[in-house]
Amino acid sequence: MGLSRPLFMVLLAAALLWPHRAPAGPISFNSALTLSSGEFVFREQGVLSQSGDDPSGADRDRRSIASLSVLGYGIDEDISVFAVLPYLDNRLDVTTGGERRTRETSGIGDVRLFGRHVVVRKNWPARAFRLSLFAGIETPTGEDDGSDRFGRLPASVQLGSGSWDPFGGVVATYQTLDFQIDGQLSYQANTEANSFAFGDVARADASFQYRLWPRTFSGGVPNFLYGVLEANLIHQGKNHDHGADDGNSGGLSLFLTPGLQLVGRRWIFEAAVQLPVVQDLNGTALESDYVVRAGFRVNF
Amino acid sequence: MRTLRIWAILQGLFIVPAFAQEGGATYDLGINGLSCPFCSYGIEKEISRIEGVEKITVDIAKAVVRVRMRGGKTLTEAVAKKAAKDAGFTLRSFARASPK
Repeated sequence: MGLSRPLFMVLLAAALLWPHRAPAGPISFNSALTLSSGEFVFREQGVLSQSGDDPSGADRDRRSIASLSVLGYGIDEDISVFAVLPYLDNRLDVTTGGERRTRETSGIGDVRLFGRHVVVRKNWPARAFRLSLFAGIETPTGEDDGSDRFGRLPASVQLGSGSWDPFGGVVATYQTLDFQIDGQLSYQANTEANSFAFGDVARADASFQYRLWPRTFSGGVPNFLYGVLEANLIHQGKNHDHGADDGNSGGLSLFLTPGLQLVGRRWIFEAAVQLPVVQDLNGTALESDYVVRAGFRVNF
Repeated sequence: MRTLRIWAILQGLFIVPAFAQEGGATYDLGINGLSCPFCSYGIEKEISRIEGVEKITVDIAKAVVRVRMRGGKTLTEAVAKKAAKDAGFTLRSFARASPK
């Protein structure tokens, strides 16, 4: 079923396109402040994606719960590598021929591997600027041919795409003791597998993190509470199915994402909600209701 | 007299090492780019790898890292600069601090 695929895959790509360690740093994507040489960071984030605004008349309702495990390592002060391992629980309820059906599956999704290189670094007292390039590949580790008693699962429920999909982009960060601003541009080329290819995904993300507490401090390294506001602009091209474009796939979405982060020396706890404010999807593509993210990071 | 000599030797076994520990040099490193709590661990980790480092104290508001060395050990500006660089920061200043 190509109708509900695109937005789901867009959101999944958005959920997975992160990693990179950031002191504080965005929640719905990640910024460029680097890992130190020889340092590790581990991030675990739960993502709940709910999509139920269905213009097709099939009363589709899709829910995906993802647990994203990310491990990053600083090869040196400029170069870091990351691996993102998703565990997914996908469910689609749809009315077909008057019958309400539930299609669901769970398991490992497509692992993402990528590297990031800082190309511009400026340091000042209590301020920093970074500009980095990143590139990687989404590997076909998730099952893409799962089935149930109704037959082959629709692509929006499958755990993986079955294809090797490269991605890359640029990210910039400006940080002070009071706030941080991050901006990211990225592109993922989705290749073909089983005569099917998702539309390519281009996105622009921005994040603003403002220190809410403590308002003043002196000495030591206090924990910080940040208020966060992010924006995610995502465009996905139309899917290609057996050589033909799927007119009910792809489109443009804009999310606003408020959140909170509690940041310590060795850990970060964070949570955010992505709310769609613009959804200009093609045809009867299923629209998103919201995406909830919560998780933590530790460095070692 | 013999008892006094033994007593003096025993005192020396405890007093001399104590003086040696308290004599560790302390340095203040001005670090540029240090602007959040999660960042501070990176510089701590890099500095802790330096031989002879006994204690690291970060003052994020002043962007200063105070490093105390074990007795007899010293820290050079070049080594401090490299540690800051490996952490992704820049050494702004390097000074010997008066021990507290």
